[in-house]
Amino acid sequence: MDCCKSRKSIFSFLKKNFIDKKNEERSETKKHKLILVGTPNVGKSVIFNYLTGSYVTVSNYPGTTVEITRGTGKIGDEMYEVIDTPGMYSLIPITEEERVTRTLLLKEDPDLVIHVVDAKNLERMLPLTLQLKEAGLPLMLVVNMMDEAERLGRFVDIEKLGKILEIPVAATAAAINRGMAEFKRKVADYGKKRAA
Amino acid sequence: MVKKEQLEFHNLKFHRYFNDIEKAAGDIESMLKSDYRLSKRTIALLLLQDDEEIKALVKKKEKSFDDIDSIIKKTRESCPEPLQYLIMLEHQGKVEKILREVVKNHEKEESSIEQWLDNITIRPLTGIPILLLVLYFGLYKFVGQFGAGTVVDFIEGNIFEAYVNPWINRLVVSLIPYKPVQELLALDYGIITLGIRYAVAIILPIVGTFFLVFSIIEDSGYLPRLALLVDRTFKVIGLNGRAVIPMTLGFGCDTMATLVSRTLETKRERIIATLLLALAIPCSAQLGVILALLSGRPYAMAVWVGFIFLVFLLIGYLSAKILPGERPDFYMEVPPLRIPKLNNVLEKTFSRMQWYFIEIVPMFILASVLIWFGKITGLFDFIMNALAPVMSSMGLPKKAAEAFLFGFFRRDYGAAGLYDLQKSGALNGVQMVVASATLTLFVPCIAQFSIMVKERGIKTALAIVGFIIPFAFISGIALNWMLNTLGVAL
Repeated sequence: MDCCKSRKSIFSFLKKNFIDKKNEERSETKKHKLILVGTPNVGKSVIFNYLTGSYVTVSNYPGTTVEITRGTGKIGDEMYEVIDTPGMYSLIPITEEERVTRTLLLKEDPDLVIHVVDAKNLERMLPLTLQLKEAGLPLMLVVNMMDEAERLGRFVDIEKLGKILEIPVAATAAAINRGMAEFKRKVADYGKKRAA
Repeated sequence: MVKKEQLEFHNLKFHRYFNDIEKAAGDIESMLKSDYRLSKRTIALLLLQDDEEIKALVKKKEKSFDDIDSIIKKTRESCPEPLQYLIMLEHQGKVEKILREVVKNHEKEESSIEQWLDNITIRPLTGIPILLLVLYFGLYKFVGQFGAGTVVDFIEGNIFEAYVNPWINRLVVSLIPYKPVQELLALDYGIITLGIRYAVAIILPIVGTFFLVFSIIEDSGYLPRLALLVDRTFKVIGLNGRAVIPMTLGFGCDTMATLVSRTLETKRERIIATLLLALAIPCSAQLGVILALLSGRPYAMAVWVGFIFLVFLLIGYLSAKILPGERPDFYMEVPPLRIPKLNNVLEKTFSRMQWYFIEIVPMFILASVLIWFGKITGLFDFIMNALAPVMSSMGLPKKAAEAFLFGFFRRDYGAAGLYDLQKSGALNGVQMVVASATLTLFVPCIAQFSIMVKERGIKTALAIVGFIIPFAFISGIALNWMLNTLGVAL
């Protein structure tokens, strides 16, 4: 009905079909569940596309994603169900889309929640990280748009941030594909650690 | 940084209250016995912040809810500010402490070019001319003249009319001896010669060029700036700048835009946006065809634009007056301007075209079949005759009723019908404006209607459509009367 729903990219369509078939027998064992959350317009959809190889519409304005989108992708050796959510500003919902996301967090039992934030606006976005951590969710932080922050003269010590928050943190510039492979590896590591 | 100091000052002043909150949260935590997926501390804090959904959940799960509730009430009374605000300040304070350790700012001012661009796109004095330039080159020149003109002419004239249609017609006539079946597949209203031709030759080039322009504008970050620019105008019609996004998306596809109107904050705003989308915002395909239709006559185009814009403001204003409710304040993230990346733009354009095509082709085929059915049963002629007086009161030839009938299936299908009519030279300037304006206002397509039902409920959706149909025709009649009385030749 609408083009925001996950639509497979023309380019990756064949490839993905092939992968899906190969993994069919394995997908009977439980898939890991990964939820992307964050304020509108921080790049959740770009990251979703990267992790799943499907295509959801990405744009440079807030609020493009109004519904939950589910996709599947292979990260490390495991299959993940990746869930893209409409933006949320805080754990207390104000608009309908925010409610959608929180209900999801209440109902699903995710193996990993990835909070995507804009490196330029950490002041406004990290409070949600604290809330999510407080809620006891298995959390990872992605500091996105690092390139734009650096252009503004702002440098973030990612390692230190991870130590203080006591969660894994990745630095990316998803739109130009910077730091994405590293980020994916961190997700895979997290999965392994949780399994062990 | 004045703002930061203020926050810290508040924190000191209010921090001691947070101790009360902390204690209350601890007490509540120990009383929560069920499993909530989220940690008990979070649930306790959400309860203290008056979260209705969580409150209902806890009420259902805990026997001791009344005791919990009394703790909440007591804490709320003992604090001078709303608990939500105090908790937020506490988090904010923690975040600032963390950031002081991890962020190094070599405060570089935003580059001067970016700042300059930011300013000139937002200020009305320069912003409106820029908007007009974007519309002129992006929509009028590229979509209207190149997409709907050059490309359509090529595919229509050089491919369909020269090769495909005669060939299909001959093939069908020679293979199938039955006239009704021949007409179903080919000839004047056949699935291939009309349905597929409309979809491939007229609609696809137009939406393709539109989606390309739209993707570039979208990725550049221009839209939120546009939202700031038109915020004041939108206030008049009971919406705020945030509604720019569904509205501009509507120029791409009203169906998609109706879905996105969900991001508006109040129910009232959502209803106004849904109504305006259904009434006064033409979708890209319709827009492209109309631009192509009127592109030879700049005055006719100006009248059409002015008229639709007026209707948009008038109906928005009236509905804002009628529907009760307050006007919410406008708050939106303004992302930086970015240079769109070719790859992203192309991928997005293709994915939208693909989605669009998959959606329209069945509809076009269905429309062809229904028209065929109407023709052989005489229903089509019956409706055409019934519409004839309406057409003549708008000063339009009887054949124009066809376009309106098509418009029931899809907005663009109707506009494409009009395009066919104009090519045969059946319409003069005034008639073209009246027909285009009425068709723009006329019913939303079936897909849009179904989303309206899904998002706003069947009652609201029917009320909106019930308003639009007579309103469109009355506006057409009024416009025709006005132009004729003034003696305008377009």
